[in-house]
Amino acid sequence: MSLRHELRSLVNYQDGYVAAAVHFDPDLYRVEAEKVFNRSWLVVGHEGMVAKPGDFVTNYMGEVPVIVLRSRTGDINVLVNRCSHRGNQVCLFDRGNARGFACSYHGWSYDLDGAMQGAPYEDIVYGDTLDKPSLGLKHARVATFHGLIFATFDEHALALEEWLSPDVQWWLKNFVLSVPVGGLEMLHGWHRYASSGNWKLASENFAGDNYHVWASTHVAMTAVQRDFAERGLHTPLDINAGSSQATPGTVFDLTAGAEGRAPLGIGVVATDDSMHTSDLRVAGRLGKEVVDWLEYRRRTYQELTAELVRKPKGFWHGLMYPNLGLMGFASHLSGRHFLLFHPRGVDDHEFWQWTMVEREAPDVVKEFAAEHVIFGQHMAGVVAPDDVENMERIVDASHAPTTWRSPFHYRLKLGLDAQSTSADLPGTVVPNPSEFNQRRFYQYWMNEMLKEDA
Amino acid sequence: MVSLEVHHQVEQLLFREAHLLDRHDYKEWLDLFTDDVEYRLPLTEYVQGDAAPAGHPVIQDDKTRLMFRVAKDESGYSHVETPKSLTCHLISNVLVEDIPDSPDLRAHSTFLVRQARKLRGEAWWAGRRTDVLRSVNGEWKIARRDIELDSAILPRGISVFF
Ligand code: FES
Ligand SMILES: [Fe+2]
Repeated sequence: MSLRHELRSLVNYQDGYVAAAVHFDPDLYRVEAEKVFNRSWLVVGHEGMVAKPGDFVTNYMGEVPVIVLRSRTGDINVLVNRCSHRGNQVCLFDRGNARGFACSYHGWSYDLDGAMQGAPYEDIVYGDTLDKPSLGLKHARVATFHGLIFATFDEHALALEEWLSPDVQWWLKNFVLSVPVGGLEMLHGWHRYASSGNWKLASENFAGDNYHVWASTHVAMTAVQRDFAERGLHTPLDINAGSSQATPGTVFDLTAGAEGRAPLGIGVVATDDSMHTSDLRVAGRLGKEVVDWLEYRRRTYQELTAELVRKPKGFWHGLMYPNLGLMGFASHLSGRHFLLFHPRGVDDHEFWQWTMVEREAPDVVKEFAAEHVIFGQHMAGVVAPDDVENMERIVDASHAPTTWRSPFHYRLKLGLDAQSTSADLPGTVVPNPSEFNQRRFYQYWMNEMLKEDA
Repeated sequence: MVSLEVHHQVEQLLFREAHLLDRHDYKEWLDLFTDDVEYRLPLTEYVQGDAAPAGHPVIQDDKTRLMFRVAKDESGYSHVETPKSLTCHLISNVLVEDIPDSPDLRAHSTFLVRQARKLRGEAWWAGRRTDVLRSVNGEWKIARRDIELDSAILPRGISVFF
């Protein structure tokens, strides 16, 4: 069966069925390396990670290791971390500052632009036969969006500002990167953990799955959160203790992204005052400057959304296709959390996380924000480990090839998709909770998988 | 230099703690900490050749947050600890020292923790701890714990205590 035929039978996003095979079939995984990770614009970091010339962090694009760095001239380079001689790593560290990179095997060296500088005993062993201009480190194409660094291996890919359609840019700029209130500031450090399950199990969860939060996965956490808040036992999770008090009909899920452009799924967009009210409850405890800052923030966003009928106040979670998870935590007292889901074989992935806080927020908010992030949706928090547990169980229950063709169910609020295009909130909006964002994710993923090479 | 007797008391405290954790006796375990305890775990990353803390710690708990974790796991609905992980805490290399101008003690120890989950899920955790111990009503309690975990990429999410 051709891949085209095969995929169409596996992915029926219209009816909300996607076969388990997309998470388990190693043949599809190999195609995915080409069509998803070798084609898409992938987020590889933030400019705050590489502030000065020579600063670098290492990361991955799919399973390809890359060095993200600031060059002498201030440009951002994304170089494949692989020696042109015989494929050894050239940069060994997670981050640092370097003048260039020398390979540990035979000592070939490269500058910050990836250009090959020289080989040991070059004159004696190679004479003038070494074609250095063709032996540099491979570059990915790079573009930034308000500090977020994207890279792609596809020289034919759309320009980034087209890949991110206007509604995606609106959400990223205003609600993810907080540009209207001064932008974000980096808390350095990769926080990483391994997890079983195909990377898409994490992506689809962040794109749209908030049903699991209150239905089962996180009920122990939410119950203790409420109990502790009521008993005056304060933790950073107090800010979410009132999150179920939103006015019915004011909370939405949405997917931004025009036809044929990368989707950004966002979950739990609150348009009433519940977020502000629950933030204020905690802000009182943190001091007057925190209350003032929240009010300033609120006024700024009121202006920004003055024209909109439904005014978004914040979001809980999201996913920028294909593998950047986002956490907004439905609060302005929390940090912003970025999570890359790196594929590690068809059945495994790694979470690579970093955290940012709003640059102009009072220091007490920055500290509270960081503590809220790590105590909750984080590798050692009281939220994320339960998600990971589910993924392990899915792998055990569904990896047998005889079950690959049985579909997973993504039918929540099916049928509301078509009527939901809205003139006010940017994107396609549906009532929360839904599995609309997951359906959109798989629709786009399948179309990318079927795209012929340019 | 602390006396043999004090050294023995501290070792017994750390060993008893390991047994409480392996028996999932978390209520009693919480009693080993002072009410103002600070419990921290930074991750590691390779910064220019050094194994350095990876920014903000991934655990920065006070007693309430430790109680929160215990309450969650004891609710019966905490998936990551259902069924409970089987753990074996091995504590070794205990070194106890005075803290100048303070009645408190500092205790260094190393740990090796094996965590087993159901079928194949298992993890090995190794590292070092530095504790500040305080005498409260004649009993040593842990007033601060700094954990250094030897992994740059965690083998799984953390749902056990070190
Ligand atoms: S592999 Fe890098 S110099 Fe030989
Ligand atoms: Fe979750």
